[in-house]
Amino acid sequence: MTRTTSPIFGRLDWSVTPYTDLLRKVDSNSLVGAGAATVLVLGAIVTIALITWKKWWGPLFKDWLTSPDAKKIGIMYIVLGLVMMARGIAEGFVMRTHQTTALGTLAEPEKGLVAPEHFSQLFSTHGTIMIFFVAMPLLIGLINFVLPQQLGARDMAFPVLNQVSLGLTAAGAGLVMISLLIGKFGTGGWTMYPPYTGITYSPGEGVDYWVWAILISGLGSTLTGMNFAVTIFKNRAPGMEFMRMPLFCWTSLCVAIMLIYAMPALTVSSAMLALDRYAGFRFFANDGGGNMMNYANIFWMFGHPEVYILILPAFGVFSEISSTFSGKKLYGYTSLVIASMSIAVISFTVWLHHFFTMGQSAGVNIAFGIATMIIAIPTGVKIYDWMATMWRGRVRLTTPIVYLTGFFLLFVIGGLSGIILANPSIDYQVHNTTFLVAHFHNVIIPGTLFGMLAGIHYWYPKAFGYRLDETWGRRTALLFVAGFMLTFLPLYVLGLMGLPRRSPTFQNPAFMPWMIVAEVGACLMLAALASLFWTFRTSFKNRTKLAVPGGDPWNGATLEWSTPAPVPEWTFPCIPEVTARDDWGETKRAGDPWRAPDTYSDIEMPANTLHGLLIAAASFGLGFAMVWHIWWLAIVSFLAIPGIMAVRGMREIEPKIIPASQVREEDRKFRERVASLTPVTRADEASERNQGVPDLSEFAG
Amino acid sequence: MTKSNTDMLDPDDGASHELRNYAIGFGVSLLLTVGAFAALLSHLPTVWKVSAICIAALLQVMTHARNFLHLSLSGRQSREDLLLVMFSTILLAIMAGGTYFIMADLDGRMHDMRDTQDMEGMPAGG
Ligand code: HEM
Ligand SMILES: [Cu+2]
Repeated sequence: MTRTTSPIFGRLDWSVTPYTDLLRKVDSNSLVGAGAATVLVLGAIVTIALITWKKWWGPLFKDWLTSPDAKKIGIMYIVLGLVMMARGIAEGFVMRTHQTTALGTLAEPEKGLVAPEHFSQLFSTHGTIMIFFVAMPLLIGLINFVLPQQLGARDMAFPVLNQVSLGLTAAGAGLVMISLLIGKFGTGGWTMYPPYTGITYSPGEGVDYWVWAILISGLGSTLTGMNFAVTIFKNRAPGMEFMRMPLFCWTSLCVAIMLIYAMPALTVSSAMLALDRYAGFRFFANDGGGNMMNYANIFWMFGHPEVYILILPAFGVFSEISSTFSGKKLYGYTSLVIASMSIAVISFTVWLHHFFTMGQSAGVNIAFGIATMIIAIPTGVKIYDWMATMWRGRVRLTTPIVYLTGFFLLFVIGGLSGIILANPSIDYQVHNTTFLVAHFHNVIIPGTLFGMLAGIHYWYPKAFGYRLDETWGRRTALLFVAGFMLTFLPLYVLGLMGLPRRSPTFQNPAFMPWMIVAEVGACLMLAALASLFWTFRTSFKNRTKLAVPGGDPWNGATLEWSTPAPVPEWTFPCIPEVTARDDWGETKRAGDPWRAPDTYSDIEMPANTLHGLLIAAASFGLGFAMVWHIWWLAIVSFLAIPGIMAVRGMREIEPKIIPASQVREEDRKFRERVASLTPVTRADEASERNQGVPDLSEFAG
Repeated sequence: MTKSNTDMLDPDDGASHELRNYAIGFGVSLLLTVGAFAALLSHLPTVWKVSAICIAALLQVMTHARNFLHLSLSGRQSREDLLLVMFSTILLAIMAGGTYFIMADLDGRMHDMRDTQDMEGMPAGG
């Protein structure tokens, strides 16, 4: 597979698109490949056409892409995550369909929708996308949107850096996306273990796509972690002591710390892999002084904290909604704080459980096995705390609560199967089977995904000024719950029956019934995805009826509910003085919470800038050029990045000033509006009578 | 009401002190890096080389923390800084110590590459 490298186009030529495969041979495999590429191209064309037709380019550029506002950046992260999720779920569906049709015979072992090599690409892109470009953007986006508002801050500590982080993440996502159309993605799974992914066994561009997507977006995540940490340490409103912070802020702090200390490990392992592949280093080659097992070691030093990065924000969301929707104070605040912090620290001590079977002695395995089991304790504490929060509350069965219930039931199963896997001798039996696949989907989907969707549903009115449709919201949640159960619970059984993970083929007819159940589940997951998008659409169409200008549709207790919906760019007309935990709730209890501040002053906001976009473009160029060995472009893009930073550094940049008069005017309008709206009781919360002003007499939280 | 985005240093107010601080940090880092390479290329015994490189690396970490990140154990922020340093040290110790624990064990259980090479000429065994 040695190809010539042209000085201008590197290794790019016309043979790299899936359409060439289709021309060469028409079968289900090449059709799926070309179909996916076509969806990508058509999707891009339709999007561009729509934006042009609606004349959205200007607003898109002015209000969004160049905005350093953490709330908008958060929303853009979430949009990115949802778009990537559509691809990820579609790939999951294709994989399930493949396996359902893959029952081979001994004479003809390979069957099914796609070729084995294509199947490997599918699970590699699916895993990479779901972890790095769905789960991470969703949670980083949600934190960006919520954290400053809950802390009583106007923005992140470093707004422009925030924009750069988003740009880097998007550049990484772009690389994975473009691999559908130009060339192939790697086949080494989302972990890309060498030596298989070394240059000898994976000579093409596939692994390089992964490496550069990870290096670029990983850097973005590290920077995000620093931004969150500094924001929490330095930008809290006066009086917002640590032990007064809402729990979502605490879990965000844990996430920030973990991002800072864990992401560099991933950067290191991927950079070492890149050096091995590009520069003939032998970090992971067993001859010549390297050790391939060190890759697994470094990768999981990142990888395990990563799974807690994924779950902790969901824990934060569940803490908020369990309290809000049962109208009670959060039970065991301090224990939840301690539990979150313990999880954050202990999660750095367990990474070896991902490679129990790599050959180290039993003593080493036992040490890490025990450490792993210990994590279950703080997690268990949290589950009990949430249940105690809801105990004897007047629980409203809103969409977030449906997700929470699904989480309670299913996450516990997933956690328990994790405890089973934490025992090295059991892990030896089931590692690398679909038992493991069932386990991690069982914690990621009911945990992270449900948590993020619940959070989106909960804070959506704050962002856009109208609630999401409850009926469709609940339908979506139920479809996800049912779809999850049908898709993944059978995989536990299949794993115990011996179906290996990442296997494109099997010859045991006894697997078939379970395969078919899982296929039905995958269809439900697709339906859930469609229903999710339909929820957004139908709510948008009904936005006048669902509008909640009062800004507090759920009778909440934390600061973000004190502002109008949609929340203005400057969030608070004047920075609140915090006097208690759940400050907004205390103000409500004291009566007349919507009192106007005495004075207003000019508000200084960071000015819009192209900076993030430029860095994103340069880093995408760098990644793409490195993948295809287009050296001139790589050099240009690489130099462009410090160049862009230097240019910005040398210019004096004026902040945007929002005059006090404008703030006062808007604030007056909001307060008059609130006074004119009829308060709504909890019972009517899901009806059109909910206009964002709750009945204060009902507040108990 | 304008403010630069860069927190630019006021030339009258200790800017030269700050700059000197950075310059010292840069110089020391450069020296330590060159020193590490020199140790590697030298004819010292391996143990010495490895220890020299490790010590240079640790010193360099400290230089960066002091001169570039402005960590200090005395002054307004000393408590926070101390906590930060301790927390980082614990995590790094877990990672480095754990790696040593794991990789040394794995290494001890691996076939020695030299043995394999010696066996290359032999007929394949069962
Ligand atoms: C929603 C429907 C989903 C379906 C139908 C689905 C299906 C699958 C399938 C069939 C595999 C390959 C299993 C194997 O190796 O035998 C897989 C792997 C994987 N999935 Fe999913 N999945 C879904 C959602 C998710 C989500 C939400 C995440 C994470 C946020 C996720 C993360 C992963 C990861 C990390 C892998 C491992 C990839 C690898 O082997 O390297 N999946 N999934
Ligand atoms: Cu783990």
